[in-house]
Amino acid sequence: MSLFLLQLRGELWKLFARKRTYIGFGVFLGVETLFLVLCQIPFGQRGLRRLVEQYGGVFEQYFSGLTVAMIMLTMTLFFLGALFLGLVGGDLIAKEVEDGTMRMTLCRPVSRLRVLRVKYATCVIYTFTLVIFVGLSALGAAMLMRGAGGLFLVIMHEKLPVFYDFGPGLVRYLASLLFFALSLLTIATFSFTLSCCNMKPATATISAVALFFVDWIVFFFPILEAYRPWTMHQYMSTWLNVFRNPLPWPQMLEDYGYLIGLDATFFVIGAIIFSTRDFKS
Amino acid sequence: MIALHNLKKAWRGKPALHGLSFEVRKGEVFGLLGHNGAGKSTTLGILLGQVFPDGGEALIGGVSVQRERARALAKTGAIFEAPRFYDYLSGWRNLEIYTSYSARVPRAQIAEAVETVGLTARIQDKVGTYSQGMRQRLGLAQALLPANEVILLDEPTNGLDPEGIHEMRLLIKKLNHERGLTVVFCSHLLVEVEQLCDHVVILNQGRKIFDGRWAELATDRRQVRLEVDDWPRAAALLSESAGVSVVEPGVIALEEKCATADLVARLVGGGVRVSAVEPQRRNLEQIYLALTHNGAAPQA
Repeated sequence: MSLFLLQLRGELWKLFARKRTYIGFGVFLGVETLFLVLCQIPFGQRGLRRLVEQYGGVFEQYFSGLTVAMIMLTMTLFFLGALFLGLVGGDLIAKEVEDGTMRMTLCRPVSRLRVLRVKYATCVIYTFTLVIFVGLSALGAAMLMRGAGGLFLVIMHEKLPVFYDFGPGLVRYLASLLFFALSLLTIATFSFTLSCCNMKPATATISAVALFFVDWIVFFFPILEAYRPWTMHQYMSTWLNVFRNPLPWPQMLEDYGYLIGLDATFFVIGAIIFSTRDFKS
Repeated sequence: MIALHNLKKAWRGKPALHGLSFEVRKGEVFGLLGHNGAGKSTTLGILLGQVFPDGGEALIGGVSVQRERARALAKTGAIFEAPRFYDYLSGWRNLEIYTSYSARVPRAQIAEAVETVGLTARIQDKVGTYSQGMRQRLGLAQALLPANEVILLDEPTNGLDPEGIHEMRLLIKKLNHERGLTVVFCSHLLVEVEQLCDHVVILNQGRKIFDGRWAELATDRRQVRLEVDDWPRAAALLSESAGVSVVEPGVIALEEKCATADLVARLVGGGVRVSAVEPQRRNLEQIYLALTHNGAAPQA
């Protein structure tokens, strides 16, 4: 095992041995359970029924495990996910500085950039783990409750309905998890960058989440449509393109190229700040 | 082994170090003494590359910390006043995590370090269950790994009970004698530095006010407290003696050439009854005052 992997293993031990890391997982399970219960009530089904029928679908065919899982995924992860990724991203550096463990690490003959690289790799792994966990647990629970069936969703900001049979729908759903994680990585990276500054972990988290929501408001509200191309959500929402047929690869490559560039920029800014600051109790 | 050249550092415009220079020889137990805010931690931070100096350079083993930090610190370990660990992980896991940032350290080497600091029985327990003394010993174990030759200790006995302080002191001495470790020991406690270190640098407000062997400082001006039945008469007799000066009523300072026994004999011969003679330990404040008021010019 290379030294980088050895260090990464240590960072993952730290992250996944901590109780607060699992708060996110636990909250998602709770929200999913609540959502499933609400879906069983006719009143809770009314909105979805209206939407499916409005776009010409048969409600009974598309009120399936896949559709319910998809709704849970988008509703919970987009908002709660941002919060928890902001929390973990903000903790990775700032919490260690606050606790004094960063100074212990920086006693070692290791460059600060290496420390950041290892921690950022941890951040990426956590982001993908969280999204995949939420996606699979939502799918498992929804399938148990509603069984197999077609997938229905509406790409909201374009008002674009999407219908799939179970097989292709499942493939698209599973693929979307990876793209969704890649989109959400931007918010985790931004929080990580703030955490490299001389600030409390909570400040880094709150600032990152606040930016996320301001960005979402600008993106979503029609009155601010002129500013939409300048928002991160314009590019982050490209994960929904996985459900288009055919897949708009050029568009997705462009959008993910932009997001990865943004992540790289955030990382470089964080690295410059982290590498030039003094650490002293 | 360690050399500091003209280190300067200011925090938000307020100078913390004014061109500090000193050297530490290999295998030496070196004491960096000073009150809180004297510049000890800043100096240590610069030595570890955690603080960037405004001027000057720190060298470990001839390698510049500022230019080649990783190479300079390759054989250097450190602990701070309260070593911080991941409380929710075991002591062993903590050691694995910290040492992974230095090199791949074999399990046997970690076990040896744990054995050296006497933590074998509890090393698989979570650090959150450790006492302060155990944390300090774990801190020392991580500072020893992997096969470090220099250890920097910043107030390592803070928060320890007297027994813990004694144990820590013995451990540091043992490591110095058996492994030939170079130890830099920062403290504001005179007695600690006195018992551990042979070479001392004293800092005051970011300036070096003493740099030398502990013995030079200790024998510079001994102080003795006298209990006598007639102090004015005793003071008059003492003032006639060369090398003796009165610090305050009941306390005198002796130059090296003066023997306490001779003075007592003179007082008794002069009709003064002496009921107690007690060598005085000067505190840091008094040493500062002595050094700054008695011609020991602050050394840059």
